[in-house]
This record gives sequence, structure tokens and C-alpha cells, in this order.
Amino acid sequence: MSAEEHARGRLRLAAIPEAGEAPLLAEAKLAAPCARAEIVARPRLGQALDAGEGTPLTLVAAPAGFGKTTAVRAWCADRDPPLAWVSLDAGDNDLARFWTYVSTAVDRVREGLGRGALQRLRSTRAIEEPIDELMNGIAALGQGLVIVLDDLQTVTDRECLASLDYALDHLPARVRVIAISRADPMLRLARQRAAGRMIELRAGDLAFTTEEARELVVEHGGVDLGAEEVRLLHERTQGWPAALVLAAIWLRSVDDPRLAVHAFGGSHRFVADYLSQEVIASLDADMEAFLLSASVLGRFTPELSDEVLTRSDSASILANLDRSNLLVSGLERGGWYRIHPLLAEFAIAQLAALEPTSAQEIHRRAGVWLSERGFPVEAAQHAAAAGDHDLLAELMVKHHLTLIRTGDARTLLNWVRTLPDEVVVRHPALAVGGATAAGMVGQSTLEQRRFLRLAERAQAEHADRFGPYAHAAAATVRAATVDGDVGLAVAEGRRAVELAEAHAEAGSLLVAAHAGYARALYFAGDVNAAWAAAMRALEQPEVERIPPGHALARATLALVSVEKRRVETARIHAEKGKSIVARLAGSRSWIGANAAAALGAVLEAEGHLGEAERELAHAEHFFHDEVATVHHAWLLVALARVRVRRGRLDEARTALNAARDEIGDLLDGGRVTSMAAAVEAELEEAAARAAGGEILAPPSAAELAVLRLLDSELSARQIAVELFLSANTVRTHTRAIYRKLDVNSRADAVARAQEVGLLGHTESPR
Amino acid sequence: MPRRQYRLVVEGELSDQVALVLEGMTMSREGGNTVLVGPVRDQAELQGYLQRLSDFGLTLLSATAVEEETRS
Repeated sequence: MSAEEHARGRLRLAAIPEAGEAPLLAEAKLAAPCARAEIVARPRLGQALDAGEGTPLTLVAAPAGFGKTTAVRAWCADRDPPLAWVSLDAGDNDLARFWTYVSTAVDRVREGLGRGALQRLRSTRAIEEPIDELMNGIAALGQGLVIVLDDLQTVTDRECLASLDYALDHLPARVRVIAISRADPMLRLARQRAAGRMIELRAGDLAFTTEEARELVVEHGGVDLGAEEVRLLHERTQGWPAALVLAAIWLRSVDDPRLAVHAFGGSHRFVADYLSQEVIASLDADMEAFLLSASVLGRFTPELSDEVLTRSDSASILANLDRSNLLVSGLERGGWYRIHPLLAEFAIAQLAALEPTSAQEIHRRAGVWLSERGFPVEAAQHAAAAGDHDLLAELMVKHHLTLIRTGDARTLLNWVRTLPDEVVVRHPALAVGGATAAGMVGQSTLEQRRFLRLAERAQAEHADRFGPYAHAAAATVRAATVDGDVGLAVAEGRRAVELAEAHAEAGSLLVAAHAGYARALYFAGDVNAAWAAAMRALEQPEVERIPPGHALARATLALVSVEKRRVETARIHAEKGKSIVARLAGSRSWIGANAAAALGAVLEAEGHLGEAERELAHAEHFFHDEVATVHHAWLLVALARVRVRRGRLDEARTALNAARDEIGDLLDGGRVTSMAAAVEAELEEAAARAAGGEILAPPSAAELAVLRLLDSELSARQIAVELFLSANTVRTHTRAIYRKLDVNSRADAVARAQEVGLLGHTESPR
Repeated sequence: MPRRQYRLVVEGELSDQVALVLEGMTMSREGGNTVLVGPVRDQAELQGYLQRLSDFGLTLLSATAVEEETRS
């Protein structure tokens, strides 16, 4: 995009050349607020921001209406650094989305800088890799870059903030991040402050001084006030910039501003409330109507406001208002505007009190207009605010594949959740899309099942809309989740693959279909076929773009490899699966639990029994549900087996009993039934050995070394010295020894060890 | 989870229509400040109210929990 086009602020859907599927981004969020002079020049703020040169982080933290954004944009306009500006909102509370916006903004500085990062975000890696790519891209710029993150308080997701911490630690020299926020973000601020890697601008700094207030209201605003009134105004507002701006607007319209200020000074009304009411009251009926409605819109263009408010003069009104830069702020010229945000809050409240339903209608019209003009994200926000479910559903049907493929399942899921069942049933693509998204980021299997049920209803009630894609997608989800019937899951898997191969429109499902089929086959016990199907998933050219199917295939390959005792291969597949998941959804999801289960199996095969139990327990906890499922029963059995091998027989018995109960409730448990029987046998045998006095879980070589020295007069500290270990390590080993020997004291441990002949050996039992 | 009433005090007196925005809260004006009292289901709802107050630029002076005496 040329500099000229950038300046003109062309409104278009963000698109990255040659990168395949473009993520859905809201264009207005990437438009830096207009580079224009502040109302009142405040060089001291510019100097304060200058002081941050050379530090990675500048934090501008103050409540609403303190002119944070204004101060930063004025500084940017003045110093004119290469600038990447992102205005964040609650929808960006997600790793993939956040870094997609940042990388896109960087790419706008110079085409290509962000491309590496954007491509990495699309494929399946841990978040550090795209960030590293972005840092490389930025370093290649050769001049200091400023990245502005506006409204950072909307980002509360821990992973997101942790990734930002990471980025701050790896920022190239001469690059600055300016974080604008209404609240101190949960970054490692204390550390940054202590290391001198951060400067702050806070409310105290941003508040207007009395002199600045005078300049704003008297000189710029043209209001006739004496020194006493200025002082009073300043004191009453405490220098709160937004309030002073409102005061200027208001006082311009009154006959006797001095009197008005005294009345204001004597009132106890909350400052912003008082001033907003006065400003609104000072407008003629037409302007008032415009203001109230435009406030509802949030960000808008003259065309949008014309359409929604059924006017034709928005452009000229805005141009007039914009000139004074008080009531309305413009973003890129000819582009987006917004009403003074603090005033807007009060205006919305007023409108709601006067005409409760008009806000809804405004949102609805805005949603339709934005959707027609190719702004799906903004359109969806308005549709949701309007409660216009059909519009939201239409938008989602159109864009759900893009959302899933660009890793934005969370947005899709959030939107689908707001729709009533009836609406979802009318749009089968949403039922299956919802099921897929729930599988990726959902907190439990419950939601996935709910969507599958809706899909079944959709198939029954709207068969004409339930085309091959919907059939294939539903079959894929059923195959992968398996639920209570392995035989059925295998049949669904085969069907999914057939449909995906036969119909071009369902071709995008090939990766997921093969992966789901593979999973079902594994549970059926047909490991060779499972391997083949999982491999076919990996062979699809677009596999890297379908993270959930990819991760599932990898998990299945890991499990089969463990079965065939190819532990190193298993490790590779399991780790790959985990890294895909880490970037995609985190461990608290269906696909995350699957990856954990696969890793658990690998760890068990490698002999790391403690870690294996942890991973399997985590996965089991996720799959725990009201309904009996093959996945859960399988995990209980796996957990039981690891516990047997660790010598924890009671806990193993508990898990195995639970597994048996669950298997009893399944229609067809596949191999899980025989697995349970095998573990039962192992358990019996171990119990017998334990009863016969045998140590079930032998101490490791390191533990044995400590054990031998326990049989002496040495203190724990002296043992540590003797073995070149830390006292902590000795304590850890000692605890493990007590557990394995089932004792509580040093003397007992020595006695038991002698009993079973451990201390007589010179080589380790392993 | 115990249902609680929360008593939020913000600086400055608020007009009635703004109070409408905080559905579920009863408003009264006291000594130059505004007192908002209402039932709060859980912490998420409380955080929602606090967020709304912050959106209006209000200064929170206190937030106190009062156990509900009678079940509504």
C-alpha cells in the first residue's frame, strides 16, 4: 500500500498479499487517530514522552477522558517516527488476534515487515516464533519504530499479556512500545520499573494545569472568564481534560459564562454528568438528535451515519464539528469519526432514558450497512448489540470458515453462543461450526455435544440446507469425539472421509475428516489403519492451516507409535501436537486435553511416570463429564496403569473402578474394554507382590545413593555435601524414598531397605 | 454462593438517567456523593458494575459488601 493510499485512509478489509486466507480485521482499529495538533499545545507532555527514548516501554495510564490518546498522537505527529498504531478492544483478548493486529500494523509501516510474523501466526507454532519473526522484521527497518497499543485495558488474557512481556524483553534497540490504558496492565511492571526499562505518564501528569486550562477555555474556546473563574473551573474539574473540553463547549453557548462557572462551582453534581447535560441542552434539537444517535455508533463514517440516521448532511456536520476538535474526533481524514467518548457515555444514557428502543435500531441498521460494505467484524458487533440474531447468523455463516482457519475460533464461539437455538438450527453451518470451535477452545465437551444435537435438529428440520459440507463436518466431529460408541464413530469417520473426498465443497474438511477417522480407528483397536488415516491427514497440502485436525492427527500418531514401541517417533509427534495446541487454544480445551493425553502416554513409555500421571490426570479432568464417554474411560484406564507402575495401588484401584463403571455405560467401548482387563491383571499382580513384601516402585540410582547414606550418622546437610547435591535435592529424594518404601521416618526407611535387600546391592536395581 | 448486597459510593452526585444505566442498583445522593446499593450475584457482576463506573470517569470511594438480610 503506498504512502498516499495510507494517508487517504482507504476503507477496505485488511488483506495481506500472497498469504492465503486473510484474517478478518476491523480496519478502523488500525487507523491511527488523525495526525493533528492538540487543542492546546502541551510541550511538557511531549518532553515527558521524549524522556522514554531508549526504554522499551512507555506506559500512559489514566482513567477515561484524560487525553491519553490525544497526547500520544500529538507527540507522534510532532516527532513523526515510523508508527504502528493498534486500537484494541475486548475482541482482541486472544493471542492470535492480538498479534495479527500488531503484525498487520507493523506491515503497514513498510510492506513486508510483518509478513513473516503473519505467516507464522497462520501455521502451527508456539507464540514466541511469530513474535521473534516480528522482532526480526522490525529490526530490519533500520530506524526507530514506535508501536502504540491503545486501550490496552481491554486485554486481560494472561497468555496475551505474558506474550507481550516476552516481546518487551526482546524488542530491538530503538524500538518503543507505548501502551495506553485506563488501568495498569498486568505486565511485569515492577521489574521493568526497577530495571529502568519503562517510563510512565499518569493522571497527575496528564491533568491540565490552571494555565493550560485557561488556554483551553479562554483562548481556544473564546470564553470570557476572569482569573478567579478559571481557578474555580480548574479546581472543580481537578484538571480533568475531558471535563474541561466539555466546559469549553458549554460555556461558549451561554450568555454569562462567569456566572455559569460560579453556579457550576457551587454544585455537587458529578462533573462529567453536569457538563454533559449542559452541552446536550445547549444544542438545537437537530444537533442533539445527531449527537445522541452518533454516540451509539461508536466509530462511524459520514456515510454510515447518514444511512443509520436517515440524513444526508453528516459529512458537513462532522466537518464543522471536527474543525473545533472538541465534540468529535476524526481518525484518518475522510474516514472514521467518533463523538467525544465521555460525552458519548452520557448521551447514550440519555437516549436510553428517552427512547429505549432507538439504540437497538441504530445498531441494527449499522450492522446491515457494515455487512454490505465488507466490514464483518464491526457489523457483527453491532448486530450483537442490536440483538439481531438473524443478521449475526448470516454474517457468521459467511465468515465462519475464515474464523476457524485463521485461528479465531474464540470469536466464532463467542458469537454463536449469543444465538438462540432456533437460529442456530436454521443455519446448519453454524451448528457444525460451533461444534468445531467448541472442540478447539471450548472448556468442556458439553458444548460440543450441544452443538452436535443442534446439528442433528438442523438436519431433520432443514434438510434442504444441510448439504454435503454440513454432513461431512458433523460426521467428522462425531468420529473425533467418539462419545459412547466406537463402532458408530468408525462408521462416521469413514463417511466423513468419503463425503470430503467426493464433494469439492467439503474438500476443506479432508484434514479433519482423516484425523477424526484415525482417532475412531485407534479406539477400535485397528492401529495400522489408524496410522494410515492419520498420515493421510498430514499429507493434505493445507494441513498446516487446519490446526485442530493437525493436532488430533499428531496425537493419534503418537499413541500408535507408543503402542509399537517406537518411543522416539512418539515423542516427536506428541511434542508437535502440543506446540500446535499451545499456539491455538491452550491446554484447557478438548484438543488440548488430547495432546496432553498423547504426551502422557509417551512419558509413560519413556519411564517418566510422575510426569506421565500429571498429564493424564489433567486430560482426565477435562473429559470428566456427566455422560459416559470412551475418551474418559480410556483416560481412567491409562491413569490406573501409570499408578500401578508407580506403586500407588489404592489410587489405581479407584481409577480402575471408575473406568469399569463408565465402560459399563458405553454402547461400544472398543479396545478400552480389553485395556481395562489388562490393567486389572497388572494391578492384581502388583497387589500380590506388595502383599509379599516386595517394593513395587524401585528407587532410582540417585535415590539409592541417598538411601545408602541414610544408613549412617550423617545429617541431611552432610549427605548433600557428600553427594555434591543441594539440600533441597536431598530432601526431594528422601521424600520419594519414604513414599516408595511406604514409611515415615529415616529409621524405618533404613530398616525396610535392609529387609528387602536394597542396601546389600552394589549396582542399581534399574 | 451467598448473595450479597453491595454499597458503592462514588464521588459527585449523579443524575437519575445515569443511574438507569446501572440496572439493579438503587441510587441515593448523600453529602456530595452518590450511593448505589443493590444485589450482586457474584464477583463477575460486581466487576461489571465497577467497569461501567469507570467508563463514566467516576471515582470510586468505597465498595462494601453487606450480607442480604432477607432473600428476595
